[in-house]
Amino acid sequence: MRIEAIGCEPLLLARFNLENSRSLETYRRHGGYEALRKALTTMSPDDVINEVKKSALRGRGGAGFPTGTKWSFVPKDSPKPKYVVCNADESEPGTFKDRYLMERDPHMLIEGMLIAAYALGARTAYCYTRGEYKYLIDIMDQAIEEARAAGLVGERILGTDFSCEVYTHTGAGAYICGEETALLNSLEGLRGHPRMKPPFPAVAGLYGCPTVVNNVETLCAVPWIIMHGGDAYRSLGTEKSGGTKLWSVSGHVKYPGVYELPMGYDDMEKFIMEDCGGIPNGRKLKAVIPGGSSVYIMRAEDIIGKDVRMDYEGLVAAGSMVGSGGFIVMDDTVDIFESTKNLIEFYKHESCGWCTPCREGTDWLVKAFKRIARGEGRPEDAQLLLDLCDNIEGKSFCPLGDAAAWPIQSAIKRFPEDFKRHLLPLAEQERVPAVA
Amino acid sequence: MAELVKVTINGEVYEVEKGRLLIDVCREKGHAVPSFCYYADLALQASCRMCLVRIEKMPKLQTSCTVTVTDGMVVTTESEEIEKARRGMLEFLLANHPLDCPVCDRGGECELQELTFDWGNLEERFIEPKNYQPERYLSPMVANDPQRCILCKRCTRVCDEWMGEEAIEAGGRGVATIISAYGDWLNCSQCGNCIEVCPTGTLLDATYRHQARPWELVRTVSTCTFCSDGCQLALGARGEEVLRTVARDRYVNGINGEFLCVKGRFASHPFVNHEARLRTPMIRYRKGGKLVPATWDQAIEFVAQRLSAIKEEHGPQAIGIVGSPRLTNEANYTLLRFARDVIGTEHYTATDAFSLVPFFENMGAPLATHRDIRYAQTILLIGGEPEELQPLTGKQIRQAVRNGGARFILINSVPIRLKKNAAQFVHVRPGTEEAALLALADADSVEFAARKMGVETSEIEQVRRALSEAQGTVVIAFGELSPAAQKIVAQLPYIYADDRRRFLFHPLPLFNNSVGVHDMGLMSGAMTATEMLDAAGKGVRALYVAGSFLQQHLKGREEALSKLDLLVVQELFETATTEYADVVLPAASFAEVDGTFTNNAGQVQRVRQAIPPVHLSKPDWLIVASVAEAMGARFGIELSASAIFRDIAANVPAYQGLRYPLLKDESRPVQVKHEIAQRRDISGEIETLRATIAQADETAAKITETPPVGHELFKLGTLTEKLPQFHYLAAGNPKPENTLASSPLVQLTIDAALRRQRQEMALAGD
Ligand SMILES: Cc1cc2nc3c(=O)[nH]c(=O)nc-3n(C[C@H](O)[C@H](O)[C@H](O)COP(=O)(O)O)c2cc1C
Ligand code: SF4
Ligand code: SF4
Ligand code: FES
Repeated sequence: MRIEAIGCEPLLLARFNLENSRSLETYRRHGGYEALRKALTTMSPDDVINEVKKSALRGRGGAGFPTGTKWSFVPKDSPKPKYVVCNADESEPGTFKDRYLMERDPHMLIEGMLIAAYALGARTAYCYTRGEYKYLIDIMDQAIEEARAAGLVGERILGTDFSCEVYTHTGAGAYICGEETALLNSLEGLRGHPRMKPPFPAVAGLYGCPTVVNNVETLCAVPWIIMHGGDAYRSLGTEKSGGTKLWSVSGHVKYPGVYELPMGYDDMEKFIMEDCGGIPNGRKLKAVIPGGSSVYIMRAEDIIGKDVRMDYEGLVAAGSMVGSGGFIVMDDTVDIFESTKNLIEFYKHESCGWCTPCREGTDWLVKAFKRIARGEGRPEDAQLLLDLCDNIEGKSFCPLGDAAAWPIQSAIKRFPEDFKRHLLPLAEQERVPAVA
Repeated sequence: MAELVKVTINGEVYEVEKGRLLIDVCREKGHAVPSFCYYADLALQASCRMCLVRIEKMPKLQTSCTVTVTDGMVVTTESEEIEKARRGMLEFLLANHPLDCPVCDRGGECELQELTFDWGNLEERFIEPKNYQPERYLSPMVANDPQRCILCKRCTRVCDEWMGEEAIEAGGRGVATIISAYGDWLNCSQCGNCIEVCPTGTLLDATYRHQARPWELVRTVSTCTFCSDGCQLALGARGEEVLRTVARDRYVNGINGEFLCVKGRFASHPFVNHEARLRTPMIRYRKGGKLVPATWDQAIEFVAQRLSAIKEEHGPQAIGIVGSPRLTNEANYTLLRFARDVIGTEHYTATDAFSLVPFFENMGAPLATHRDIRYAQTILLIGGEPEELQPLTGKQIRQAVRNGGARFILINSVPIRLKKNAAQFVHVRPGTEEAALLALADADSVEFAARKMGVETSEIEQVRRALSEAQGTVVIAFGELSPAAQKIVAQLPYIYADDRRRFLFHPLPLFNNSVGVHDMGLMSGAMTATEMLDAAGKGVRALYVAGSFLQQHLKGREEALSKLDLLVVQELFETATTEYADVVLPAASFAEVDGTFTNNAGQVQRVRQAIPPVHLSKPDWLIVASVAEAMGARFGIELSASAIFRDIAANVPAYQGLRYPLLKDESRPVQVKHEIAQRRDISGEIETLRATIAQADETAAKITETPPVGHELFKLGTLTEKLPQFHYLAAGNPKPENTLASSPLVQLTIDAALRRQRQEMALAGD
């Protein structure tokens, strides 16, 4: 397991390898909570929002929405309380960066949440974690207590007029509770299903009050931005996507791990083949899912020699998306039919059941995949699968439906051979060689 | 007038009110849009995805049930893309559906079936095995076939938003989501509204299971015969038997929409064809002897002769005539005319639980309709427990608060369930609700009243402020009140109203025609029901009773009826009153007659004949008219319900000009014109109240427990006890061992419940 920055100074990973990295003492020794002090004592809330806008920081939870813009949607004159919610649900398959941030450097997140709360006029911040991350809640709680004891959380923080409580909360283990409105429902103790948008959480979120939901990594970038300025952050990355990004690399590479890359890192082939140590056992690269399970799968031929830039625009141009940065590498032993079946089983299991296309569609898709896997595939099934995906995509209540359809659509289109083999009568299947 | 915007739908331009839901606008303009989860005035759900349309400048298809119209919006509801989406959704919904329409009670009136006709594919592409879910029972009233569910969640929303119960909810997730109850058994008020709004055969009337197909039933729109809210319903009859009651909007569109309560929905019809119905007239020739069947001619002759003789011997005042708040206006009015014009007695009354005469005499503002309540901005409820006694009113208050943001103030000695919707709950000592009225009417009494009620003066001041500062419609609802308190409540508008607000009243009497029987004048006779019983054998020698006395009348007067020279009773069943009757005349029930009821909103609504009178029974008014004729009197009108109603319209000012044809459309109920009283001097009543309240015990403990659901609703009465399942509810509705029973009707009899109770008692005894 490698954790390192490549092509830039470690920004998010700066303190990862220090001894006792999660303690307040270590954090403060390395400049911790100075950004909070700077914000509270020398900046107005609007200054903070402007700095974040300037930084071109985009949400790291998957959608990549500009964070400063999101913050500016919170109505200033609302008489209602406002909330900051950290989305630490991290349930996108292939994504495991937030957990290391919280495990190794929890104070960075707390500081980010406090600065956000200051900017938005919130007095309460929640950190919502998936149920399986129970051990992280303990770490976070301990850090919050430490910070409170040091006057960094609670009443009159750092002796200023700013007061803010920070609470942790665990879900019960549902992917959909990573979707921000489902998260808010869950946080309120309701069933974990998404809410209708609009209204967006910035206007009516937790308990109907203005709420900003941000990913762990997004919030962790905030202290650095305040300390060094938005322009400095932006200059680390590209014009439209500032700063650095964590990539959770798993699968068939020599050195899986969490890598911090500057936005716009050149290029994906180098990243896989050199930085991550290449494909082990002399195998060949077959496919990459670059941004967590919900994005289009990429073929090796669309990466090798194609100079794929690793940022939002670069990946879209290459036919996929940054998503949550869950970077899954597959070598030529992988049957894409099987790997896609695995994914759709996940989506079926995680569909909240609210809307027709996702609930019934994922169930049907799984049944079809299983039938095909049993050797009962029919040539027309490829069309059936694509048509079912088409009936889900763009018609579901929340993006989970799309997320279920995209991997299948792209897999069938980009790896037709892997599907065709399964759709032949059993006798013929045996004659067609499986995977290389 | 709301702002108008221009919307283009399928190329046609319309001007419509801004902010309306697109789906409503499309439908109103004749562009059909299919839907399952959309249900007017419930929280938006947007989950079925049937209503997708294309809106220009928006990236994806949009759910028309969630989009509000804006100026310049360009909408397409028909295109290849939209058709594919709708067919796709329907295909998904049917993927796991059992397609067992031939054995489904909903078949023939199922929205899923209907939309499948429109948007279903001819061929099924789904070849994999379906997910199986067993059928089961969620209560004695609610049968459940989860596999047919499309998860539109209308059921859970009505349960929550209409009923405030949250008894039925979704469990599980994804394709395993299942609509269920906590502990898989519904311990709710059993209204069955979840059944009504379910567009599929998932939730079904367990008391009507597999009894008929919808197309076999002839439906008759009528008015409920239980509480004073006056819900509209459709009786479904096959031949001469009423098999079910529904409020489905495809059959009936009344003040209640698809809402009914447990009594209206399940108990409206089982008594109609019940074997215990009285079959023939009966005469008891000798006191203490047996009732012997007689012909109508014999019975009428007998009654006429005896009444004439008593009148002759003791004078007309010796005869008491008793109507009923359960009977039609036509029946009660005929009784009034019988008393005044034929017998010539002032001793007439009706068996209501309390009289509203003092209120109506002094009423300083009109009555509130249920729609007024839904859209009121302030609602004050003094006493009463509408969620148990007038459930539609309860629902309207809940929705006014939840969906309309109304301010609801509750003054009660009991923390009733509606408390949870109240912005302010003034929790007073038992029996001191009227002190609150005193304090509202008389500023000088605030401190005194607050002390007696055991509340802070600031709480009263807050209510006073709410009444004087409120904008918009203020509805004052109240339960049973003393005559003095009724006059004070009736005059409150003169104390608080000015042009910024409109005051409306909503009295909460107990019976379906309490207001009508008052309007017909029967409650204004010289004696009350209890006074008549007390005078039995003394001043009063004979009683002619349509319906029966209430338990509360007979309590402590058990002997009274036996002291009469003559007791004539018109009834459906044998009751405590018929026990002493010299003549029992079988009356036709509401399902067998034409007529009208007047509800607590003053709306006069039609009762319609669904089946001919059972056995030898006759409409109450016809029986009375026959007796009158036998006594040599004629009413001078042709004998039909509509003719009697014309007579009412000619003689009761509030009903002036009304005719049956004007009452034809249940979706436009007619409110009668009760006279609005002038400002009256209420100082005397204030004194009276002060004196009574002075007696109240200042140390009395408050009632802290919220009464359980059904404590009034599930009480067995002459009508409700005819449904076996009602006994099960009255026995506490225990969850049976097996909710999946193949023949649960057998298991769900009272016997099974008692057996189980005995078992539990035996176990607990060890
Ligand atoms: C099905 C689904 C699952 C999601 N799961 C996560 C998650 O686990 N963590 C996360 O940060 N964002 C998740 N999101 C994105 C959030 O809805 C939201 O966009 C994000 O928390 C906003 O924070 P950001 O702007 O900092 O990215 C998910 C979205 C969807 C539709
Ligand atoms: S797409 Fe629909 S069923 Fe799927 S998770 Fe979102 S709301 Fe739930
Ligand atoms: S039971 Fe009926 S009303 Fe409830 S969700 Fe299912 S189909 Fe809809
Ligand atoms: S009616 Fe619009 S989504 Fe169901």
